[in-house]
Amino acid sequence: MANKQLVKYHPDTRFLTDYAAGSLPESQALCVAAHLHHCADCRAHIRELTQVGTELFMEQPAAEVSSGCLDQVMARVAGAINEPAKTPATAANDSSSSDAVKKTETVSLPRAISKMTSGNLENLKWRTLGKSFRYSTINTGDEFRESSLLEIKAGGEIPRHHHGGDEITVILKGSFSDQEDKYNVGDFIVRSQGETHTPVASQDEDCLCITTLDAPIKMNNVFYRMLMPFLNRPTSA
Amino acid sequence: MGTQDLNQLGRQKLVAVTGSIKTHPRNMNTSVVKDESSTWTECLLRIANHSDQAAFQQLFKKFSPLIKAFAIRQSAVGEQASLSEELVQETMVKIWQKAGSFNPKKASASTWIFTIARNTRIDLLRKTARHHQNRISNDHSEDGFDVEDIWIENEDEDAFNQLVKQRNNEMLHKSIKELPDEQEFILKKVYLEDKSHTEIAEELNLPLGTVKSRVRLALTKLRVSVER
Repeated sequence: MANKQLVKYHPDTRFLTDYAAGSLPESQALCVAAHLHHCADCRAHIRELTQVGTELFMEQPAAEVSSGCLDQVMARVAGAINEPAKTPATAANDSSSSDAVKKTETVSLPRAISKMTSGNLENLKWRTLGKSFRYSTINTGDEFRESSLLEIKAGGEIPRHHHGGDEITVILKGSFSDQEDKYNVGDFIVRSQGETHTPVASQDEDCLCITTLDAPIKMNNVFYRMLMPFLNRPTSA
Repeated sequence: MGTQDLNQLGRQKLVAVTGSIKTHPRNMNTSVVKDESSTWTECLLRIANHSDQAAFQQLFKKFSPLIKAFAIRQSAVGEQASLSEELVQETMVKIWQKAGSFNPKKASASTWIFTIARNTRIDLLRKTARHHQNRISNDHSEDGFDVEDIWIENEDEDAFNQLVKQRNNEMLHKSIKELPDEQEFILKKVYLEDKSHTEIAEELNLPLGTVKSRVRLALTKLRVSVER
């Protein structure tokens, strides 16, 4: 599915369980999916956690379905018989389209991101901040969180910033370091409200990440506002 | 929980699995779960290969009341009778359409159906939310992800052989019934009521950490690894 590079930082049980149950907000689920793309271990966890959901689902007391329901479903199904059930499943379509994507992209991107970029990052609308950093907002329809793709040029740095809310970052390409560690492709990094850090991309490669940031108050371009006070200041870097 | 405890747990699991295989070599016919499960698998394959409507109706009879129950427990869906029937219809139609992609080596029929019901519920909630709120306007007018682009079907070949997997599922089936009420209660909130840890914490007026540890405790009892 993806490269064999060692993934060190994983979503905790809470994120994985909510993802398996389907209750994780889509903006955060996008980050979990990006991690799963690179982590067979967590995919195996998800398999187990989904099994727990299945058991609970199967053990529910049955609820009465209205008598017309089967007829309505059968009418829709009969209508679809001309296109037999064997019509290539979405999975097959997706794999052929992602093969096409791989020809133009050198890295394997999670499915949702591939779909968004249609094979070329330049298809997105980017906003540039400073010399070495740009971002593109992702519309997940989540009014409490904002998701973006971020790109830090090789050796570039995101100015030191505070987090007004919780932030999840997953590396899609390249690597970055902060005061605590070096992070690689697939790493799922959670920063809590109030923490401060200064990520620096490694010298040899641009770093592409997806990030989802809690935005307690809905406003546009949370990321931009979060960074602006720092960017306007003369920096020594 | 310490590493040692986890290792201990892993060993117990292994012993339990291998132990039961030794005592009942190739003897699988005692389990009702197994019989039912193979029936649903056959139904899906008959739909996939022969567009078999009778097989589909058999699945409908079993699963539509479960999907309806699942719909009702999700408050935003359950409040409206029409929405919970819509979930039943949409899920059943998708089962028909997607039967061709069902692979019994990768998932059991019930897991496959549960996953479709879960994704359809997410999709239904997305659509109803879209009626109520204006989508945030930003760089992309619509990024247009399908639910399946984010909740991706696990495409890994199963590492376990069928026998071990079957034993694991049977163990899970039994141990869920033995969970203390408090843990069963919280797992049902997570999986059936569609509530995230954060939402459960708010509803029960508990710290998030308490909800997390109750879920972990329950999963540990079910021998699901929770090392993170």
